[in-house]
Amino acid sequence: MWARQYSSIAHRIGRLVRSTAFLPLLFLSGCSAHSLSRQFLIFRPAGPLSATDLRFTIFDVAVMLGIIIPTAIVTTFFLIRYRKANSTAAYDPTWSHSNLIELVVWAVPLITVALLAYYAYRGTYAVDPFHPRLLKTAQSAPGGTPAPPLRVDVITTDWQWLFIYPRQHIATANELVIPRGATVDFHMTSATVVNDFFIPNLAGMIDIMPGMRTKQVLVADQLGTYKGYSANFSGGGFSWMGFKTHVVGLKHFQDWVQSVQHSPVHMDYAQFNTFAKPTKNIQGKTFEFSDVKGRLFDQVIEGVLKGRVYTTQLPPPGSA
Amino acid sequence: MVNVQGPWSPLLGRLSLGAIPDNPIIAGAFIFSVLLGILVLVYLTYADRWGYLWREWLTTVDHKKIGVMYIIIGLVMLFRGFIDALMMRTQQVLADGAHSPGFLGAAHGYLVPYHFDQVYSAHGTIMILFAATPILVGLMNVVVPLQIGARDMAFPYLNALGLWLTAVGAALVMLSLFLGDFSHAGWVGLTPLTELAYSPGVGTDYWMWAIQISSVGTTLGAANLIATIVKMRAPGMSWGRLPIFTWTALSTNIIALTSFPVLGVALGLLGLDRYFGTHFFTAGLGGNLMLYSDLFWIWGHPEVYFVILPAFGMMSEIIPTFSEKPLFGYVTMVAASFAIAGVSWSVWLHHFFTMGASPRVNTFFSVATMVVGIPTGVKVFNWAFTVYRGRSRFDTPMMWAIGALFMLLVGGLTGMMLAMPPVNYSVHNSVFVVAHFHTMLMVVVYGILGAVSYWFPKVFGFRLNEALGKRFFWSFTIGTIVVFIPMYTSGFMGMTRRLDYLTNPALMPFEIAEEIGIGFYLVSIYYFVRQLYVSLRDRNANRVGADAWGSARTLEWLAPSPVPFYNFAVTPRVHARDELVWRRGQGLEGAAPPRYEDIPMPRNTSVPLAIGALALGLGFGLVWRIWWLTDVSFIAIILTVIARSFVRDTDYVVKAGEVEGIEKRLRQRAAEAARAATSASGIDALRPRESNP
Repeated sequence: MWARQYSSIAHRIGRLVRSTAFLPLLFLSGCSAHSLSRQFLIFRPAGPLSATDLRFTIFDVAVMLGIIIPTAIVTTFFLIRYRKANSTAAYDPTWSHSNLIELVVWAVPLITVALLAYYAYRGTYAVDPFHPRLLKTAQSAPGGTPAPPLRVDVITTDWQWLFIYPRQHIATANELVIPRGATVDFHMTSATVVNDFFIPNLAGMIDIMPGMRTKQVLVADQLGTYKGYSANFSGGGFSWMGFKTHVVGLKHFQDWVQSVQHSPVHMDYAQFNTFAKPTKNIQGKTFEFSDVKGRLFDQVIEGVLKGRVYTTQLPPPGSA
Repeated sequence: MVNVQGPWSPLLGRLSLGAIPDNPIIAGAFIFSVLLGILVLVYLTYADRWGYLWREWLTTVDHKKIGVMYIIIGLVMLFRGFIDALMMRTQQVLADGAHSPGFLGAAHGYLVPYHFDQVYSAHGTIMILFAATPILVGLMNVVVPLQIGARDMAFPYLNALGLWLTAVGAALVMLSLFLGDFSHAGWVGLTPLTELAYSPGVGTDYWMWAIQISSVGTTLGAANLIATIVKMRAPGMSWGRLPIFTWTALSTNIIALTSFPVLGVALGLLGLDRYFGTHFFTAGLGGNLMLYSDLFWIWGHPEVYFVILPAFGMMSEIIPTFSEKPLFGYVTMVAASFAIAGVSWSVWLHHFFTMGASPRVNTFFSVATMVVGIPTGVKVFNWAFTVYRGRSRFDTPMMWAIGALFMLLVGGLTGMMLAMPPVNYSVHNSVFVVAHFHTMLMVVVYGILGAVSYWFPKVFGFRLNEALGKRFFWSFTIGTIVVFIPMYTSGFMGMTRRLDYLTNPALMPFEIAEEIGIGFYLVSIYYFVRQLYVSLRDRNANRVGADAWGSARTLEWLAPSPVPFYNFAVTPRVHARDELVWRRGQGLEGAAPPRYEDIPMPRNTSVPLAIGALALGLGFGLVWRIWWLTDVSFIAIILTVIARSFVRDTDYVVKAGEVEGIEKRLRQRAAEAARAATSASGIDALRPRESNP
């Protein structure tokens, strides 16, 4: 009887192991090779800024691999060729200097770094979050009807996002809607601690700091919904501090603005102070606000500069 | 003095029974530590080793023993830091996707966010400041005086003080596990998250004072090592003959001496914010939180090179020894080390390229960062040319050195990527960066593990088990590959750092792979412990003579293994860069000196240990705001230091006859060991190899 019971337990354990062994494969097959490749957000730029980031990444890696792969191969070859067991290889127990080799080993990294440094300079100016040179040149290019530029003020709280559209007098929380092709001009600040604005498909990271204002200018080329993150750790609700970015057509965008303008919930500084209470957005809730006062962004910065904090309470003892 | 949340009493400060965590994992760790502690105490009492421990270790000023104690502290903390890593990997693999299960009160995984945040903060703090730094300082302590032919450090008493202050820092970090909590704001201390408004608990204070106290120790140690290298070299040891590891030790300690005070200032100002309500790093009321980032990384980046330069030095010692050939391009290697040290001061801003500085600023720091790649690249090429036309032997230290070289290649590739702002913006705070700096720190870890197995026989007189060392190496290497390649990959999927819950289920396969990788690390720890045990058990079969590897090159291999407390019976005269090779060529290896002399040696002292104990009281009092304890400890430290300065009787003399007796015994034992080793393994481990090319 014991044997039978044991075998039945063993059978059950075996089944459990078998069912979990395929788990990794299941995740892969569940989304297939094609959709897995779509998960590599950095490799899927949907705007000129992230496309440029990717271009520089590929260039940098290519140059470096050009040095590193031969170095790895030569080192491995030396190690194998001049192993102790190989008595046919030359052995030169005092050789330790050669002017020619010294010259080469300094020249190769020097030239590589000079080349990469030049491209670093070009790239830094091209994607400068405040005034990307890239977009200036892109705008002057003829063709197409560019959507009018859009201004969005971003305020992060513990641990939510507030996106204010000051000219439209609307705001959204944890959800960003922008029209395709428009130059979107973000002004960002934080009500509490440092966060980091990051939409992998659209733009690289830029810090969001309390009492200060940072900027990001971006253009989205392709319709779709893109993940946005806070990339800089900001406390307990940080893991849930994501937002969705919807890139929509211009007409769609205008309709959406109108619908939000009819939202019954308003937003002013008093309302903001309630909104900014520490909140873990575990359900991924989004909100829409109408009748947003134009000075809200400046008021939040001023408030922080005057010493306003949205205090975190001491976690209960032993909760560590 | 600011008011803090929660109760406070004059006697116990913020301390109360509620400070004891009720988490079962911590309770388990506590029971484990207590049992281990009781076991050690019982052993010490039962085997009557208290006197031995006190005389030979706790009050010692011997640079080798202090070095060994530094390394032991580092290895224990390395294990603690590894457990933190294991917990983080397990949390992330469990907490992936909205449907992932939750245990122990967590919504996902088994760690609530506040606990997870402390785990990763502790991991970083421990690995950099209480594992890598002490082990490196320990190795420099052991090796540098031997390499330059000195009897001890320039300031033996200061050396012991540095050790005990480091130990206090480590003790405070460990204490935070069982009493109160640890910082949740990262090892870097992200302002303004570390300010009282956002971190009202004692966690940040633990982090702050642990680092502050131990970094005083590191600064003192750096001054000591510089003085030792500059002033204590044996006759004939000109700068051009200084062994390469000592050169890197010099460059790295110049970095430490000049950069650690900056950290002290940064943490001191943060302390003023937290204790006196000033506004140095707050967001409002005139504070500037990015000032902290600047100050922290003005220390932090040099610190990165502080840990990597000695590792380069270790590789530069190991590779020639096991290639049986001098290091290629000695002068270039020295120049490269100092170039790296110099540039280390001008790259700090790349840690916050995304702050929104102007492209002019970012370009400057980008180019400066890339410039570091030049001397580093030169070093890699020079190691390759050291192997060229040599005779490579793949003993365990050589395996670690080769591993470090390949880690450096991968780290160099990804480092050059991150140095370029347009690339950096897309992965700045992602796990790609985490994988990058772990690859670079693996260079340090590989260097350290290589150095430990390389110099172990010098300190203890027997070699570590080779077969288990290889298993340790391979399981560790597989672990490194399986953890960090998926981590690099998930960085390109937009996975950011420091997440206790992952929203994207597509990350699951990578998380599982990393968990498997961490399993390999666990296996490697088993092999390491087993290697230590087996080697200790079979030590009599593995005894070595002065030159443990048969092809060693530098001065430290001239002294007997294990090295007697006075290092060299007669201070050696140095004739060449690779002194041992020169002596071998002249047939002088193993020759006894013509006559012995009296040796003045520093006397043991319990003062550093006492100051350490008082510093622990000071740190603990500051963390819990127990003012009577801080006042008493602080005054007592000052009085102790003053009292010690009046002690004149700090040295004693070992008579020439006594030295002769010890040397005779050591020679006899070495000869026996050599015979035993030759008959046991049949290898010509002790025969000079270069005399018959």
